[in-house]
Amino acid sequence: MKNSTMLEMKGVRKSFGTVVALDDVNLQLKSSEIHGLLGGNGAGKTTLMNVLYGLYKPDRGEIYLREKKVEIQSPKDAISCGIGMVHQHFLQIDSYTVTENIVLGTRLKNRPTLDLDQEEQRIQDLSERFGLEVSPSSLVEELPMGIRQRVEILKAVYRGVDVLILDEPTTNLTPQEVESLFQSLRVMVEEGMSVVFITHKLREVLSVSDRISVLRDGRNVITLPRDEASEEVLVRAMVGEGLDVGKSLVFSDTGLDQEALQVGQEPVLRVEGLQVVNEEGNPLVKDCSFQIREKEIFGVAGVAGNGQQELAESLMGIRPIAGGQASIDDTSIVGLETRELLEMGVTYIPEDRLQDGFLPTANVAQNLILGYQRQEPYHNRGFLDWNAIFRAARELITEYNIMTPSAKEPAANLSGGNIQRVMLARAFSHPAKLLVAHNPTRGLDIGSMEFVYSKLLERKEQGMATLLLSEDLDELMLLCDRIATIYRGQFAGVLERGEFDKYQIGRMMSGVETHE
Amino acid sequence: MDQFQMQFVSFARLVMLAMVPYVLASQGTMLGGRTGLFSVSQEGIMLVGASLGFLGAYLYGSLVYGMLLAMFVGGLFGLALAYFTTTLKMNQFVIGLSLFFIGLGLSTLFPKIVIGVTLQPPLIPTLPDVPIPGLSQIPILGDIFFNQNVLVYFAILLSIFLYYLLYKTSIGLELRSVGENPKAADSLGVNVSVMRYVTAIVGGMLMGLAGAYLPMVYTGTFTQGMVQGRGWIAIALTFFGGWSPHLIFLGALFFAGVEILALRVQVAGVGVPYQFLLTLPYIATILVMIFASRRVRAPAFLGQNYDREKRTLS
Ligand SMILES: Nc1ncnc2c1ncn2[C@@H]1O[C@H](COP(=O)(O)OP(=O)(O)O)[C@@H](O)[C@H]1O
Ligand SMILES: [Mg+2]
Repeated sequence: MKNSTMLEMKGVRKSFGTVVALDDVNLQLKSSEIHGLLGGNGAGKTTLMNVLYGLYKPDRGEIYLREKKVEIQSPKDAISCGIGMVHQHFLQIDSYTVTENIVLGTRLKNRPTLDLDQEEQRIQDLSERFGLEVSPSSLVEELPMGIRQRVEILKAVYRGVDVLILDEPTTNLTPQEVESLFQSLRVMVEEGMSVVFITHKLREVLSVSDRISVLRDGRNVITLPRDEASEEVLVRAMVGEGLDVGKSLVFSDTGLDQEALQVGQEPVLRVEGLQVVNEEGNPLVKDCSFQIREKEIFGVAGVAGNGQQELAESLMGIRPIAGGQASIDDTSIVGLETRELLEMGVTYIPEDRLQDGFLPTANVAQNLILGYQRQEPYHNRGFLDWNAIFRAARELITEYNIMTPSAKEPAANLSGGNIQRVMLARAFSHPAKLLVAHNPTRGLDIGSMEFVYSKLLERKEQGMATLLLSEDLDELMLLCDRIATIYRGQFAGVLERGEFDKYQIGRMMSGVETHE
Repeated sequence: MDQFQMQFVSFARLVMLAMVPYVLASQGTMLGGRTGLFSVSQEGIMLVGASLGFLGAYLYGSLVYGMLLAMFVGGLFGLALAYFTTTLKMNQFVIGLSLFFIGLGLSTLFPKIVIGVTLQPPLIPTLPDVPIPGLSQIPILGDIFFNQNVLVYFAILLSIFLYYLLYKTSIGLELRSVGENPKAADSLGVNVSVMRYVTAIVGGMLMGLAGAYLPMVYTGTFTQGMVQGRGWIAIALTFFGGWSPHLIFLGALFFAGVEILALRVQVAGVGVPYQFLLTLPYIATILVMIFASRRVRAPAFLGQNYDREKRTLS
């Protein structure tokens, strides 16, 4: 039955309030194919798949399964249509075992006794068949991201789905895990399943898909078979006319020109044997030592949750430093408060920007100077100089292209992308000798990503130092002068530009290799 | 039996008696909490339960009718909580407090309407002890465990049943998942709303019954504010019991013990002001919370409302 149509979505429209996330979108999925769904952040990929999975109710649109129209009102309907979905943020019960997570909601034979031995055996068999190794009796909260993702996929295959949707499945994986995921997907399509593989990464979609559809601003752009697709065509489709692809940093694969690679001599940040502990006294960052020099972008690679946030927060005075030394320009920063660090010229772009970096009910201008309100020119003999604040805010709004009715608008009324811009404007507009940036491009559309990259390089040109913590290896390899890999709170190795090797970093990310 | 043994048996019997309202109200709280519903209207529902339990028994001449009436109205309160929070997505704490005040008001209103103001309020018979043949003959244990009223047996069996339901059946697996991560549960076809409604209603019924127990066992009549904070203690107890039926049962025994002890000391008259003794259960609550709160884990989604289309992250 190869090449027959498995599933079709027609004329799908979905809006959230005034935001039209999808407009007249079509998608056709053939049987036994891996269909790549490509698009920048905010393009509507997740929304489209949530509609298919019954999580979002579309304003308009129809779904056909094997050429018969189906109504999908809830995930339950989707499951009974043979559709499974692996969400970008795993939907798991942390305190349950792998088996319990997988069987949850199914019509078990042993409903009244919950004797799961048989199910455990079946999960074991499935995991061998598809190359998705897991241990069925472990608690999922204790598992690393890569394994948790296998659990998500097993949830779908356990239910015997015909269509499997994977939403940005490679985000939390090491390069090795990405390859093994792709192999599993191949096995699945050989067994007759169809796979929708969502990503915003060009290379991934080219390496695994049979056909590729591109979505931009909630609209279909093109659908192509793999052999007719080229990087140029896909990039153009993803970004539209607004961006000069030739000059683009996001899509450059050679990296930067030689001039941009100069690094200064003077260390700005020195860290020696840094320790950070949690409330119970267990180490979260262990014995970290490194220096960041002038004109240097120092990267930290690692799977999420290996101590990156704690490292960043300890340098910003948000978490106490439990041991070791850290100094900026030979002044120790151990025990300093965040306020003092800001005054010394350290800036922070937190990972969870909405939670940690933003006041929703304060207005745009207030958010733009947050943290700098005690400094010139906003501060004048104990009072805030609102004229100066609003003047600066208006300039930033223009420069950073923030879409807002005025500087007085409550910041929560801005769209997600513009909220991000407010926070980036704040971080980049104040001269800082050290910037600590944690996943600064997470969730940004391609234009904003481009902007962040150019700002980071601009800082470098001006001689300033940057600590860039990121889960996006491509981003690190593009921008950084050196990359440290963090695993369980410890540096597994530091590589210089020129010796960057995706797979080696991948091995260090999963703790199987260290590098001196 | 020597003097000490008799003392012990009578103390233990009283503890078993006093445990019942705590067990019922806390297990009810736990049930809702396991699907993410955090109720703070226990005290109000128990007052209505006490009031209507008494009136039902008085009007229809049977304690069973009183209990059924109390449970029915408790269930209505649970239904209201579920409707306003799960369907209308209103703040759980605000709704819970409102329901508490409504319960408080209704509990004194009903007796006024039905009986009017009297000097000598009418009495209902108290719940009789029902010895279990055979078992009640066992020395000491028989008297403590098997020669009690039916609600003591019910509280014990309920706790065992809930433990089994939650941890040994697939319904329990689904129920608990709703309070931990409703989006995950929803994505696997578990009906989050139905789970919440059912646990809220059953939980409310148990709280109503907990209230009805008081006039039927202690006083034989309804008096204003007769729940005396047991509903609030039930909340603390549920946290202390880590939202698990078996630990809640043990916690209820502990609180009942403190309550009876305070009464004993008061009667013995050791020279401590009785106002202080009355605060003992509450002080015990705080102490226990200090030690327990670090170890126990509440349902991750407790107190929040789930909206399928609302974004949680990025
Ligand atoms: N639950 C939601 N509520 C409001 N807006 C949403 C919601 N989900 C998505 N959006 C908006 O819809 C658009 C598409 O988002 P999404 O589908 O997540 O994009 P992608 O997955 O391609 O990155 C964005 O503008 C986003 O802000
Ligand atoms: Mg997405």
